[in-house]
Amino acid sequence: MPELTIRICVNGAWHELTVKPYERLVDALRERLGLTGTKVGCGEGECGACTVKVDGKAVLSCLTLAVQADGKRITTIEGLRQGTELHPIQKAFVDGGAAQCGFCTPGMIVAADAMLQHNPDPSEEEVRVALSNNLCRCTGYEKPVKAVLKAARILRGENDE
Amino acid sequence: MNHAFTPSAYYRPGSLGEAVALLSKFGGKARLIAGGTDLLVKKPAAIESLIDVAGLNLSYLRKEEKTIHIGAATTVDLLETSPLLTGWPYQALTEAAKSMATPTIRNMATIGGNICNGSPAADLSLALISLDASVTLVGPKGERTLPLKDFHLGVDRTARREDELLAEVRIPWSSGTGGASFLKLRRHQTAVDIAVVNVATRLDCVNGRCVDVRIALGSVAEKQILAENAQNVLVDRILTPELVQEAAEAAAEEARPISDVRASANYRKRMVTVLVRRSLETSARRCRECRN
Repeated sequence: MPELTIRICVNGAWHELTVKPYERLVDALRERLGLTGTKVGCGEGECGACTVKVDGKAVLSCLTLAVQADGKRITTIEGLRQGTELHPIQKAFVDGGAAQCGFCTPGMIVAADAMLQHNPDPSEEEVRVALSNNLCRCTGYEKPVKAVLKAARILRGENDE
Repeated sequence: MNHAFTPSAYYRPGSLGEAVALLSKFGGKARLIAGGTDLLVKKPAAIESLIDVAGLNLSYLRKEEKTIHIGAATTVDLLETSPLLTGWPYQALTEAAKSMATPTIRNMATIGGNICNGSPAADLSLALISLDASVTLVGPKGERTLPLKDFHLGVDRTARREDELLAEVRIPWSSGTGGASFLKLRRHQTAVDIAVVNVATRLDCVNGRCVDVRIALGSVAEKQILAENAQNVLVDRILTPELVQEAAEAAAEEARPISDVRASANYRKRMVTVLVRRSLETSARRCRECRN
């Protein structure tokens, strides 16, 4: 089986990888780079557990081939942490109890992060739309939506009490 | 039974000529890949080569003379925000783009992919048909342009030959006096599901009289159709609520839906009447002479 060499920048570090033509980006991230925070749920683009950012946009890494990401900048859930501190969205999810089993959480947080970068002051409806490709099968969306709104306030520098 | 999707080669041509040469060489054993949101779900077996359109510079929206040109690899999210599409009737395409799938999918999916996928439920195609859009195909013998309404032949079937690549979508620039509207009914109105019925209309009036109209119906036949009888009900007549209702009922008669997991054929027909009426009412309000 012929393989291809690609260079991708993941969470700020460039990696050279040898991948198969049909290898999914999510598999390259998880199995070649050990970044298992990105999950595989449905594998068909419905559930959003595999959401990562490619060049700043939220995309589904189960419907992206690794070769398509050649030369691009990718951010996974592991790349959001700021030093030893959780990212404000992660912190808001923890504080608000917005995760239950946690399988959908990385995808939700990455999708939320991509939205907040171009819309720092979203309405609740806009948050729901931004998370509409992220399915949670445990408990629902109330707490994740509240957590994203809270994180947005914190990121805007507003006092959140 | 193993229908594995395991192409053994991946190409990223740097020019249309190179891409067409690859298509000519591999024929049906190759597939073009753009956003991947259809191909990597369908995962067709027996595909040996993937040809990525990412290197072809086909992501653009521009207006030249009397035409809007949209590169086939332009992602749907760019249609949502393009200043070229902010006026009527073109904003119907923006409405279709915003209603399509989810924001995450729209960051990946392309206008050319949506058209070539050949689904009768495709949202962008429907709005484009109502705008009299055409598509430009590039092949070994050069390029050809055909009306989008003639491009789809049936479910998953299009006029694109195996050695051709859909390079561009063109929308004729009009005087901007017409109104347009895109409406879609989804089961439970969830974001990820495709349309049960979708409708795009475009309407232009002078002194309350309809001078031009398109009524495009999706998800109710093996391909998207213009409801010509319904259009004829309206042309050159003074628009009244009764006339709009008559046209909506005529459109339902032209629909040839099937029953499937999403809805029964009968329900779809009834919803065509409702959606066409509402869409025409909205398009009429958006005509220049009715705008506030």
